[in-house]
Amino acid sequence: MIDIQLLGLLNATLQAATLLFVAALGELITEKSGILNLGVEGMISIGAVAGFMTAVNTNNIFLAVIVGVLSSSVFASIHAVVTVVLKQDQTVSGLILTILGLALSSLIGKNYVGKKLDTKLDSFFSIDDPSNILQVLLSQNIIFYVAILLMILVSYTLKNTMFGRRLEAVGEDSKAADSMGLNVTKTQFIATCLGGAFAGLSGVYLTLSYVPYWTDNMTAGRGWIALALVIFGGWKPYRTALGALLFGFLEALVPRLQTYGFELNPYIVKIAPYIITILILVLLTIYKGGKTGAPKNIGIPFFRENR
Amino acid sequence: MNNKILETKNITKSFGTLKALDNVSFNLYEGKIHGLLGENGAGKSSLMNVLSGLYHPEKGSIYIKNQKYKISNPDFASKLGIGMVHQEFRLVESFSIKDNLTLSRSNIYIDNFKTAYKKYSEIFALNVREDEAVSNLSVGEKQKIEIMKLIFNNSNIMLLDEPTAVLTPQETLQLKNSLVTLAKEDMKTIVLITHKLKEIREFTEIVSVLRNGKMVSNDLLTQEVSNNQLINLMMGKVKKSQINKNNEIGDIKLEVKSVTSKDPVNNIKKLDDINFQIRSGEILGLAGVSGNGQVELANLIAGIEKNFEGKIIINNNDVSNKGVKSRKKLNLSYIPENRLGVGLAPGVSVLDNSIVKDYFQTKLGPHLSKNRTVKYLENLINQFSIKAPNPKAEISTLSGGNMQKLLMGRELIGNPDVIIASQPTRGLDVNAVEAIHNLLITQRNKGSAIFLISEDLDELFKLSHKLLVIYEGKVIKSFSTSESDIESIGLAMAGIGE
Amino acid sequence: MNKYTLSKRQAVNELSTFYSFLAGFLIALVIGSIILLIQEKNPIDTFSLMFKLSIGSVNSLSSSLNKATPLILAGLGIAIINTVKLWNIGAEGQIFMGAIGVNLFYINSNLSNPTILIFLLLLSAFIGGAFCILIPALAKVLFGVNEIITTLLTNYIVIGLTIYLVNGPWKDPNSLNFPAAAYVGKEVYLPTMFGKLSYGFLICIIFTALAHYLKNKSVFGYEMRIAGGSEMTAIYAGINAKQKAFFAMLIGGGFAGLAGGVELLSQTHRVSTGISQGFGYTAIIVAAITGMRPIGIFLVGTLFGALSIGGSVIQTIGVSTYIADIIQASTLFGALVIQFFFNYKLLRVDDD
Repeated sequence: MIDIQLLGLLNATLQAATLLFVAALGELITEKSGILNLGVEGMISIGAVAGFMTAVNTNNIFLAVIVGVLSSSVFASIHAVVTVVLKQDQTVSGLILTILGLALSSLIGKNYVGKKLDTKLDSFFSIDDPSNILQVLLSQNIIFYVAILLMILVSYTLKNTMFGRRLEAVGEDSKAADSMGLNVTKTQFIATCLGGAFAGLSGVYLTLSYVPYWTDNMTAGRGWIALALVIFGGWKPYRTALGALLFGFLEALVPRLQTYGFELNPYIVKIAPYIITILILVLLTIYKGGKTGAPKNIGIPFFRENR
Repeated sequence: MNNKILETKNITKSFGTLKALDNVSFNLYEGKIHGLLGENGAGKSSLMNVLSGLYHPEKGSIYIKNQKYKISNPDFASKLGIGMVHQEFRLVESFSIKDNLTLSRSNIYIDNFKTAYKKYSEIFALNVREDEAVSNLSVGEKQKIEIMKLIFNNSNIMLLDEPTAVLTPQETLQLKNSLVTLAKEDMKTIVLITHKLKEIREFTEIVSVLRNGKMVSNDLLTQEVSNNQLINLMMGKVKKSQINKNNEIGDIKLEVKSVTSKDPVNNIKKLDDINFQIRSGEILGLAGVSGNGQVELANLIAGIEKNFEGKIIINNNDVSNKGVKSRKKLNLSYIPENRLGVGLAPGVSVLDNSIVKDYFQTKLGPHLSKNRTVKYLENLINQFSIKAPNPKAEISTLSGGNMQKLLMGRELIGNPDVIIASQPTRGLDVNAVEAIHNLLITQRNKGSAIFLISEDLDELFKLSHKLLVIYEGKVIKSFSTSESDIESIGLAMAGIGE
Repeated sequence: MNKYTLSKRQAVNELSTFYSFLAGFLIALVIGSIILLIQEKNPIDTFSLMFKLSIGSVNSLSSSLNKATPLILAGLGIAIINTVKLWNIGAEGQIFMGAIGVNLFYINSNLSNPTILIFLLLLSAFIGGAFCILIPALAKVLFGVNEIITTLLTNYIVIGLTIYLVNGPWKDPNSLNFPAAAYVGKEVYLPTMFGKLSYGFLICIIFTALAHYLKNKSVFGYEMRIAGGSEMTAIYAGINAKQKAFFAMLIGGGFAGLAGGVELLSQTHRVSTGISQGFGYTAIIVAAITGMRPIGIFLVGTLFGALSIGGSVIQTIGVSTYIADIIQASTLFGALVIQFFFNYKLLRVDDD
């Protein structure tokens, strides 16, 4: 017999991890192509509000997910235009994408604050009080399984398919990729929009299941953690998932600490993941002698000098 | 010479006032190995860049199998079957050999990769598994992969830019055999871009010669021309040193005593017991193929690298343990080989770059007054006739020649006692080279001790009193320029100098 | 078939940043208008109301300038760090740390002279900000850890620390349910010059001049520029590039910390989560849009301060306060697009 509270903790961990992981996986794809997008927070927010509004207005959850995912993807294309096509600074553009995304979602979602959802994103099996680990795993939201599928799919695609290898070649060495006749601009554009789509999926999960309601700034820094997760995971899908579980665990642990009778201060526990990430970053850099697994061309705009 | 596969007619391409290519007509024949011979800056790379779609000529036309094409970008060039191996490799280092060979859009061996890889591995005598990461390969192996990449991408016309520069003699011989096989069996058309006569002789059947952007000779059969003819074509009149070398020689200004340095990683000696001294008014040349320790030696003398054994003495001061600034205060100037990136900081203004040497000296400080720095720059511009209209402009907006003049001017204006000039004229046009040479001679006459590091033998012969030849970190021979001939020095540079 | 290829322009117009900003601002106003029209608000009325309520009277103008103060100070800090071509995404956290620094010194000191005390409080704000960026700076220069992510993460650490402090050890029992530290004494409030305009704005002017001197006129600034351009050139010139990067980061962090200190002493008067409303992020826009020029940061920061005030007061007529954020972000996006055309030209290539 496993402690009910522990099962609750596991459940909450998986949910929090799913949310972070989906967004992180999207950013991973974008970064693999050599584009850094610091706008994850804004993209999640756009997907969250667009999905929520659609769900409230149409009661069609499927449509809501599609709209959420597409809106974020279109929103990410701003970053793609500015950095891939117009070759402007990726750091600046990504940051404004976050600011713009947060402001825009608050603006269009203003009348939806406090509204209730009639339908939610569900799980395949509705198990009200899971009493063992298997039941917890089976009772997860659809997005949880989608995330697992995506993880396998992305990992496989990057490693074993032509599309994936070419995407990675672009991010590793855009000049070499160009000399192979690969279309660097197109690849990076697609990867950026894909990253947006994943962030959108994470966003709809947030408002259609995880919370589920809409309020300003509800992403609460998760987009930034997703960015950190990519580094934490060394740009590898499976390791990123592990990182997401760790962060999800810490997020789930905080509200439960007192019930366990721990003296740990919940506020301090809350900042622990960030401190740990910095530590891991430093250790990774020292240990691997600078080779953190980052795509070599990240942040450097591709430009072919024609004269 | 029957099957003409490519022909260019009257190609002209200029950059600003410099005509990189002037009315160039050029032919390639199927299944032959061609040589494209010319000195640095003769226009070889420009011509190849036109063929591979990177440069768009103002005038002229290109015919492939008698059909006219405008090659607007590299993708189109590769569709036409033209591929190029650049001096800096275009390989994805972290990827496997297989990935590098197969990811191309125009790949033709996706399905039967294994057989193709086996076949060409044999031709290239390459003994590496296909899943090995490129980063683990030696330079020679990487180059084989680069050439194989062209084959896998269905290039029939293969342009190889100085492929032997990075190879050992054995590897060079190997490459020759592979290329001969490719031309014979696969009917590949190969162009070898080089300034080395020996390779033209050994590799090619047909040779074309570029000089100052003009095609001075086309479709020569290699067997039928002599070395002297080729040299005459390539260099124009061979200039004998015509500057006066009987200037006044003074005291010892720079002394390098048994300097040895090792690579901290693998403990291989990068410099091995180097000894020389240079007197006031004397130019000492250091000849050698790039990468034999020249950069390390120059950096050691300038104080940039500090890990070494031995002694460096400037103006009778032992500076072995001193930093860059204290050596500058002893009136040492260093013109580094890497102009933009070391000598000049990219992304920074002309004005800022002009004061790199003296910014910490009192005449400009303590607040780097705008008036004083601008005056300093104006003085440089006038004295060294630099074309730099806008002091605030980013440095790389200047032409190569003007960048080098700014760099030289900056280093020479304080009338330095010791000058290290590393590859000072590389990549510059004839006028700029002449101007730089005059600057060095003037400075010599003013009593500077000059250490001239160069690959250009003409330059070394013209300017220096004495020549050292460096090979694999060792000075293997020294010559007096008035008493030796180019040939023996060339042999020494190749390591054949006992 | 016509195809276009890009070519870098050899000489870029000196005023290109300025023109790009103007064009970007116009683009942003158009975007703002469209959003207002969708919300069935008259853009001209709304913008003129924003204008009136942000700079129409001495009081509103001084509110705008007060608002601009932390924005400008943090922006200057970002610009100083960018001289060595590094990013500071952590200004938000540094602002909080500056405020924490002030309170820490305040509750532990028993100085009676308010002038000296204010001076020391501002100094501790500066040190607080510098301390906040210490770990990212060390990680950068010692190990080469990417500063974008580390400075960003410190934001969350410091804001978490703030929440901890105002809910725990520093919690003011009188503040009822709102978690905040106790107010500082009136004697250390920064006085006002006229209207509501705080002396904080004067500090802001002084530090703008200081940043301008440091970045563009001083030997240190010169060494930072060379180190930022090329580490190899710096080494060649005998400049310790890593050391310059380290000090640039500390000073830049200090500027942002000072922003938090000034905000506390002139506006909020206590530590709470309301010390900064995203100033640290908006400051990045301000700094980037001006090409990291201190004087430009001062001007654009002032404009953005006014926009924020305008944005917050038009809530009363039912327009979202976020319209100001959207205009600010769109200005930079617009400017980036225009800047592209200053940096590159399109060449037409004819294919056959």
